[in-house]
Amino acid sequence: MTDERMRELERKSRAAFDESVESLDAASRSRLTRARARALEELQHRRAAWSSTWLPAGAAAAAALAAVMLWQGEEGTAPATTPAFAALEDLDIVAGSEDLAMFDEDEEFYAWAVGEMSDGVG
Amino acid sequence: MIRSATLSAALPLDGRRDMARETTVDQARALDRFLAGIERRALRIAEIALRDHAEAQDAVQDAMIRLVRSYGQHPEDQWRPLFYRILQNRITDHQRRQKVRNAVMAWWPGRDADEEAPDPVESAADPDGGPDQALEGMELLERIEQALAGLSGRQREAFLLRNFEGLDVAQTAVAMGCSEGSVKTHYFRALQALQQVLGELK
Repeated sequence: MTDERMRELERKSRAAFDESVESLDAASRSRLTRARARALEELQHRRAAWSSTWLPAGAAAAAALAAVMLWQGEEGTAPATTPAFAALEDLDIVAGSEDLAMFDEDEEFYAWAVGEMSDGVG
Repeated sequence: MIRSATLSAALPLDGRRDMARETTVDQARALDRFLAGIERRALRIAEIALRDHAEAQDAVQDAMIRLVRSYGQHPEDQWRPLFYRILQNRITDHQRRQKVRNAVMAWWPGRDADEEAPDPVESAADPDGGPDQALEGMELLERIEQALAGLSGRQREAFLLRNFEGLDVAQTAVAMGCSEGSVKTHYFRALQALQQVLGELK
């Protein structure tokens, strides 16, 4: 099979395929649009699932961090970095940067937790 | 880390919330644009592979959902081969189930599992057909589809992805889950087999 014949087969079959794509019927196009909308709903579901899974864990971890920092303050062992700063840094890890929507519901709690950590070790 | 913490501390919560929303909206727009640009070709490719319109629609929808759910966070230039990887897996799963179903039906008294599926090579138009044969548009594509149905699954995948979807060798390798060398081999053999069945395309 020569390159020429191969290219011809590729070209003509692709042209026929492209034509069939262009002439796709309205019902199929409509169903594709609905399928796309359904798929994009996954973004919302994923955010909701992430929040419900990790929010309680994040809150518990933040509370644990607060307790540790308070305990360290009482023991008088100075952390390597500024305590409030380090706590905030850890809080940032716990909260993550992937989905900040959780702050919608619990920003007061996090603000309180950060304040507690600063007060406790300062 | 300290820098990250500094930035996090410096940004008011309202600002972080707005940034998160903007990111999500941007991502949703990008995914919508990508899927809108790919969906029709994907449907036709699935139809050719599955020979079943309704099943092809379902396969494309499943692939869209899987892409958004599992790979929406990946860089945009990775979406196309990943989407086709998901779609090909979905198609292969369906074809395997069909084979099992046909095998079971073959044991069923009074049924022949093959009677519903004519031999695609035999039913393809005669490559030596006369000059009167109309080989354009849908009729030509129908011949090609029948010929494609006679290829091995991997050869058909390579041809659909390389020639119809226009993926390059590297992208096709990702979509097929094989090496680039295998893609080249499957594609070349597909072309040879199609040429044999179809003859000269007018």
